[in-house]
Amino acid sequence: MKTTERDAKIQELIGKYPKKESAILPVLQFLQKEEGNTLTREAIEEAAQKLDCSTSKVYGIATYYTLFNTKPVGKYHLQVDTCVPGFLHGADAIVDHIAKKLGIKRGETTKDGLFTLSTVQDLGSCATGPVIQVNDRYFENMTIEKTDQLLEGLKKGNWPENDTSMKVVSQCGILINDRTQKDCRALAFYKKNGGYQSFEKALGMKPEDIVAEVKAAEIRGRGGAGFPAGTKWSFLPKNDPRPVYLICNADEGEPGTFKDRQIMEYNPHLLIEGIAVSAHALKAAKAFIYIRGEFGWIADILETAIGEAKDAGYLKHVDIVVHRGAGSYVCGDETAQIESLEGKRGNPRVKPPFPANSGLYGCPTVVNNVETLSCVPYIIKNGAAGFKKIGVPNNFGPKIFGVSGHVKAPGIFEYPMGTPLKEILDAAGGVKGKMKGVIVGGLSVPILTAKEAEGLVLDYDSCAKAGTALGSGGIIVVNDTVSIPELALRTIEFYHHESCGQCVPCRRGSLTIESKLRDIVAGRGQSEDIDLILSLCKNIKGLTLCPTGEAFAAPVQAMVAKFRPEFEALVKR
Amino acid sequence: MSKKITIDGRELVFEQDKTLLQVARENGIYIPSLCYHEKTGPASKCRVCVVEVDGMKGLQTSCSVAAKEGMVVRTDTETVREAQRMVVNLLLSNGNHNCLSCECNGRCELQDAAYFLGIERPPFIIEERQERDSSGAFILRDAEKCIECGRCIEGCNRLVVNEVLDFGYRGGHTKVICDEDAPMGESTCVQCGECVQMCPVGALIENKYIGVARAWETKTVRTTCPYCGVGCQLDLHVKGDQIVRVTGTEGAHPNQGHLCVKGRFGYDFIYSNERLTTPLIREGENFREASWDEALDLVAGKFKQIIKESGPDAIAGVSCARSINEDSYNMQKLFRAVIGTNNIDHCART
Ligand SMILES: Cc1cc2nc3c(=O)[nH]c(=O)nc-3n(C[C@H](O)[C@H](O)[C@H](O)COP(=O)(O)O)c2cc1C
Ligand code: SF4
Ligand code: FES
Repeated sequence: MKTTERDAKIQELIGKYPKKESAILPVLQFLQKEEGNTLTREAIEEAAQKLDCSTSKVYGIATYYTLFNTKPVGKYHLQVDTCVPGFLHGADAIVDHIAKKLGIKRGETTKDGLFTLSTVQDLGSCATGPVIQVNDRYFENMTIEKTDQLLEGLKKGNWPENDTSMKVVSQCGILINDRTQKDCRALAFYKKNGGYQSFEKALGMKPEDIVAEVKAAEIRGRGGAGFPAGTKWSFLPKNDPRPVYLICNADEGEPGTFKDRQIMEYNPHLLIEGIAVSAHALKAAKAFIYIRGEFGWIADILETAIGEAKDAGYLKHVDIVVHRGAGSYVCGDETAQIESLEGKRGNPRVKPPFPANSGLYGCPTVVNNVETLSCVPYIIKNGAAGFKKIGVPNNFGPKIFGVSGHVKAPGIFEYPMGTPLKEILDAAGGVKGKMKGVIVGGLSVPILTAKEAEGLVLDYDSCAKAGTALGSGGIIVVNDTVSIPELALRTIEFYHHESCGQCVPCRRGSLTIESKLRDIVAGRGQSEDIDLILSLCKNIKGLTLCPTGEAFAAPVQAMVAKFRPEFEALVKR
Repeated sequence: MSKKITIDGRELVFEQDKTLLQVARENGIYIPSLCYHEKTGPASKCRVCVVEVDGMKGLQTSCSVAAKEGMVVRTDTETVREAQRMVVNLLLSNGNHNCLSCECNGRCELQDAAYFLGIERPPFIIEERQERDSSGAFILRDAEKCIECGRCIEGCNRLVVNEVLDFGYRGGHTKVICDEDAPMGESTCVQCGECVQMCPVGALIENKYIGVARAWETKTVRTTCPYCGVGCQLDLHVKGDQIVRVTGTEGAHPNQGHLCVKGRFGYDFIYSNERLTTPLIREGENFREASWDEALDLVAGKFKQIIKESGPDAIAGVSCARSINEDSYNMQKLFRAVIGTNNIDHCART
């Protein structure tokens, strides 16, 4: 690209944001692409100069987010997801196979510069693992055979088709549409099925009344914490002169979670209508969809859909910007996400102040999950009462459960809140082998033993009562072939890799637990190490700056405490 | 209006807008802290300053929680101590905090915290080795002792606005970087040393101080920097009769502890053998020592001769930036009133 074109492109990216620095991720993404998949020193200097910030800041960002390559990689960067769901689906065998076949170790590049092999943390493709991301494309449901085909194809410059197949069941039919239809993403398809009627209705309503309706529907946030959305909305200061921002959290980074992409990838207009209605209710003239950077093609789908909605006149009141992350789980935390959108490292902020009062650029901000916002059209169309017909008291509405790990038919299941776990697992073909334990809310929640999971009902309150959490509804099933110490090691590897590194208990605590678990799994551990891990977990909970500390301390503690004999059996006597 | 708060059973009076840590410190109650510095404010990152507050769930970082009327705070419960010990142990666990050889022994906030908490040695070690960066002209960076509190970065970016330092990488690999993770000596760093002054441990130290003195062997003498007319306040750290280190005086006008490279590191000229102690008069290629009277007579005579031959405008004066205002005033007076020329300037202006 010519220098003038390059400059123009950078200026265009900057122009999308209220503040220049916010364009730092898009600018680096653009420059990395221009420079052949590597961020050179010159590109970093260029970004710093164009964005008026220091080189160290840009380099700090380039090395914070994993999708930036500050060191050269091969033409095809093979990234195998070996995090917990991938591990359960056999990703290690794929890695070993590629390593053997190409004669390289993890992190190495073949001599001809064609392939680099890396293992990466969760790619949000849990039911369709093992998954290999090649540059920015996904290859799901991989087998050894398909891996061979992929490598052979790439050598010749051919990209095979991706196999995205998995079980899809939608009992509610609200969030998941009929993806077997070729035009399922199109505006026309969406409208044919009643799309944007809710928006038309909302336009005739006063913003306060929409907020009241959402509040009355008692919808609890689907991002994990289960905080009532209407209540959050009503925290926005009244009669405040500052602009209000709406951020749709599409970072979807927690292992076991792959639900938001189901909406965005196949039913994008539902989310856009949800944002359009919510922005009207919150009087937000600017909304961002912060989508994890790995989902590049889904971001493209969203942009296309936004274009359609704009042309159809649905977005006169709000400008929706799709903002691609760059590889960071912690950016799913709302305050880290705000920092990241402001063009900084994704370090969570100290609360208070809460985003409702001081969020993006210090302005009132609402952050909601994709699934939460996608429920809004249904609420407005059918009223709070209609919404509350689905689910159980205090836990209303539909919920997308993702099931991965040891079930016969992993996939995605839209059921009412309060559905028994057994029903969902049956829909997923039942457990493969004998269940040892199940993680029901994404990797950050304590594992339940098979016995503890008996009779469990999937809603926020029942899960809390059972000593775990519904979290994001990412269900990971573990059968008795799995070593829990190995599972614990994979768990902490993820969190140590993702820790923003800001606070000591998380930064050094995750490092220490990982190191001790690695010793134990390798047979080098001591009995005291088990107690040390438990004591670290106990003290880390509640001590960290953001909930990430708890997100690894709770599950690791549960694994060690509930399956202690397995750990004891591995340590030196 | 002053308000009341109870810390560890003591009822204390405090002024508006203070944090719990500030109120405790003002009243002689020690709460370990690492990432807080009064110039950079609360960062809430180290988590060692935690306390329990009645009515608030879980541990609270005292550096960031505002004191409120009637609060009941405990800094000494077992829960607090256990958390604090864990944090300090986690920091010590890289095994590289060797106080025996550390320049900061005796003035280290991590050492203070460990001592207070009764930690003799870290109960677990996770080996980690990192290179020292000795490329800087005056500053040595020892990443093995770094606790990633971020105070140096805040100092560099927000206080002196040199924008050289930042955090790079992530998680357990997080570290302080210069520019694009360049060695300090090859970076845009101007070696002002603000980062050294902000560092709570021995991760950033003055090269010249290494092996020269222990903290308790020196006394501090406050003075004004002789380099320029700003009048920065310095603390000279003196061992015997030798200056071994210079720091900016915190909380004093006009510099609030900040210094430039000359003020902080340019002190050893006073001990230089090459320093002139008498006037020198040039004779041919060489100089010979002379008395002040002889030298001044010679200069005055030459001035008079030049004025006589070529007029007063043949002479120009440049006043030195290291002289105080009064001296500069007298210098221009001498040129205008005595010599009779307006050819007078000041080196800071050229
Ligand atoms: C480490 C961390 C990661 C998170 N990741 C996500 C995420 O990927 N998506 C999401 O919606 N919420 C995530 N959250 C929760 C958000 O902070 C926030 O609560 C949520 O987006 C609010 O939306 P909701 O109320 O609609 O659920 C995360 C929180 C933490 C602490
Ligand atoms: S707990 Fe601390 S180090 Fe971990 S992600 Fe949160 S802020 Fe960062
Ligand atoms: S001093 Fe309060 S968290 Fe570090």
